[in-house]
Amino acid sequence: MVDGVAVRVQGLWKQFGDQVAVAGIDLELPAGKFVGLVGPNGAGKTTTLSMVTGLLRPDHGTVEIAGHDVWRDPVGVKARIGVLPEGLRLFERLSGRELLAYSGRLRGLPGAEVDKRAGQLLDVLDLAGAQHKLVVDYSTGMRKKIGLAAALLHNPEVLFLDEPFEGVDPVSAQIIRGVLERYTTSGATVVFSSHVMELVESLCDWVAVMAAGRIRAHGPLAEVRGEASSLQEAFLELVGAGGRDHGSHLDWLGGGAR
Amino acid sequence: MTGEEGTKGEESVTAVFVALKLSLLRNGLRQSPVRRTTYITTLVLVSVFAAFQFLALVVLRGNAHAASVTVLLLAAMALGWAFMPLFFPSGDETLDPTRLVMFPLRPRPLVRALLVASLVGVGPLFTLSLLAGSAIALAHGAAAFVVSLAAVPLALLVCVALARAVAAANIRLLSSRRGRDLALLSGLVVGIGAQLANFGMQQLGSAGLGELDPVADVLAWVPPASALGAVHSVSEGEYGAGLAQFALSAAALVLLLGVWSRTLTRLMTSPDGSTLQAAEPAGKRERRSGGLARLLPDGRTGTVMERSLRYTWRDPKTKAAWATSLVIGLLVPVFNVLKGTGSVYFACFAAGMLGVQMYNQFGQDSSAFWLVAMTISSTRDARAELRGRALAILLISLPYTVLVVVVTTALLHDWAGLPKALGLSLALLGAMLAAGTWSSARFPYSIPQEGYRNVAPGQSGLATAAIFGGMIGAVLLCAPVIALTIWLSVEAGGDRWSWLLPPVGAGYGALLVYLGLRLSAPQTARRLPEILAAVSKG
Repeated sequence: MVDGVAVRVQGLWKQFGDQVAVAGIDLELPAGKFVGLVGPNGAGKTTTLSMVTGLLRPDHGTVEIAGHDVWRDPVGVKARIGVLPEGLRLFERLSGRELLAYSGRLRGLPGAEVDKRAGQLLDVLDLAGAQHKLVVDYSTGMRKKIGLAAALLHNPEVLFLDEPFEGVDPVSAQIIRGVLERYTTSGATVVFSSHVMELVESLCDWVAVMAAGRIRAHGPLAEVRGEASSLQEAFLELVGAGGRDHGSHLDWLGGGAR
Repeated sequence: MTGEEGTKGEESVTAVFVALKLSLLRNGLRQSPVRRTTYITTLVLVSVFAAFQFLALVVLRGNAHAASVTVLLLAAMALGWAFMPLFFPSGDETLDPTRLVMFPLRPRPLVRALLVASLVGVGPLFTLSLLAGSAIALAHGAAAFVVSLAAVPLALLVCVALARAVAAANIRLLSSRRGRDLALLSGLVVGIGAQLANFGMQQLGSAGLGELDPVADVLAWVPPASALGAVHSVSEGEYGAGLAQFALSAAALVLLLGVWSRTLTRLMTSPDGSTLQAAEPAGKRERRSGGLARLLPDGRTGTVMERSLRYTWRDPKTKAAWATSLVIGLLVPVFNVLKGTGSVYFACFAAGMLGVQMYNQFGQDSSAFWLVAMTISSTRDARAELRGRALAILLISLPYTVLVVVVTTALLHDWAGLPKALGLSLALLGAMLAAGTWSSARFPYSIPQEGYRNVAPGQSGLATAAIFGGMIGAVLLCAPVIALTIWLSVEAGGDRWSWLLPPVGAGYGALLVYLGLRLSAPQTARRLPEILAAVSKG
């Protein structure tokens, strides 16, 4: 990996009509780390990740992954990254196993190798029992897991996950976590977005805080957290929502019917 | 509880359900002006049609075939009642017993209330007008009129109870994913049924109503048509037969209500297992890549072909589109032959209908296209992707096109026209695939996964332009082969050379497909994010 930087983003900007979704992001994400992109709903996390992975064309700005420009060198980039987007479908009329076989072969891996890896991923992700079921009949947790399997199949250097734990039951979440931890200890990079601070705090070495289309803070977890007792508190401080207390307006709430 | 109180309670349940039905109707109309306009237009059209039907039936009075026509109409109507709930499961919320589970209702008053509530609506009104008209057409003599006073409501109740019983029996299926898939295919059944009915009517127009009599004689003993059969029999003085026919319909009503009531009780006292039911058989059945996969080419092309072919069968929208193309592509040339207006060139219709499948390829993926986009990093990848999709379509459409041409020729005994029609069809198929490939890359639009619409709001202009522009383009692309065919037909002795047309058409078609892929692949590779954005709407 070039100079320890997995992803280099410069001046990234995206506007939908009058609405500025991402307002100029400069960021260098370190390689071999568990990187968390945190922010409230509507902060521009999904838009940023879509642009970084080449699924959405930015208005301005450049993105380099492992030294390759996403838009000028797609061959160099697409083989090196794995993506699990949020809110996009899968080929849901394939079974879990067929989906893995399909996406592995699309990436040009030899068929036998794809089938071997798919079998192992299905086992580890506890999907072996449902491998012949159509993805359309999967639960949210199963969908996230099969999407993760498809993103890992070609052993990418950098993995981008958009809200991988959203709507996932605790058991599936623990399985996903285990797989991701094993993957990063081998030197690979995971970039994932979330608005659950406790999760980010327990998983990540490095965080970037996003709000209203901008990066508010970034760096190693301890640095971003600073003096605050938790990432949650530091985050509320950063996005300017800290210390808000509307409790007194709801003084009738609770304490029995009156 | 005394008997009187019980009756009172039941009456109020019925009143509540009728009120519920009316408020659901009113609120549905209040939702949007479009819906209101649609509903009012439908209501007016149905009323006008019902009025005309009523008048036509009254005019039929005294006609020798009146009994056959009315009995057949009612039988068709009953068939419609039986199938409607399967096609439009979400049409009536009072239908769904699972919504009533939390209320303390007993089966008998519930069935009565639901039955009465289902009599409110356009459908029952239309059926009533049909029945009343039929009764007037059939009844001769006081006895017959008295019978029809009972027969008309009886037939109506049988129709409604039939719909409810069928719906209740299938509610588990209808609320599952499989059921929704099935509902999507229903448009197809209606479309093809309409084609067949239309053809049947035209045949009848030439052959006369007498053709119907044997069928009607049987149906006159099948409920609910047997209720009208009873009116007819009594008019003819056959009181015994009339009584038996009436009893048959009445027995059917009792039976249907019994089945319905039992299903309702079971539904409301046992847990909903719709997802379990839908998921289990799929889990048990091994899905293997069969022998076909081994015959497909290696690499991306084969992988894409396999996925496309699986979707042809498994995705309800794709399946419906294919089935429509296959059926209409064959029916149009064959019906034209049967009507005597046939020409071997009608066989080209199949090539046109099947070629349409290539249009908006990426829209068929919907937002799952991101998986494809993530794996296309060069023009070569894009070409393999498009080639795989075109080959998957060719695998079905090429043999089918040849088959339709041969069948049409055989029906017409116009073997001299075979090479011309075949050459034109093959060229047209190639041109359609080429134009489809190009417009897939240039004008993608999304296909909503739910509901019957095939275009997302705001993209219908784009969709129309892409398909019609593509079709006109395809015909223009075929111009050289068309010109050659015409020239060989008018030139003296040209027919001697017409054997040349199939290879020329096939070669020209293949060339067009090749050029289409070459032109569209760079477009596709360059515009991946734009295509993804266009197909992810809706």
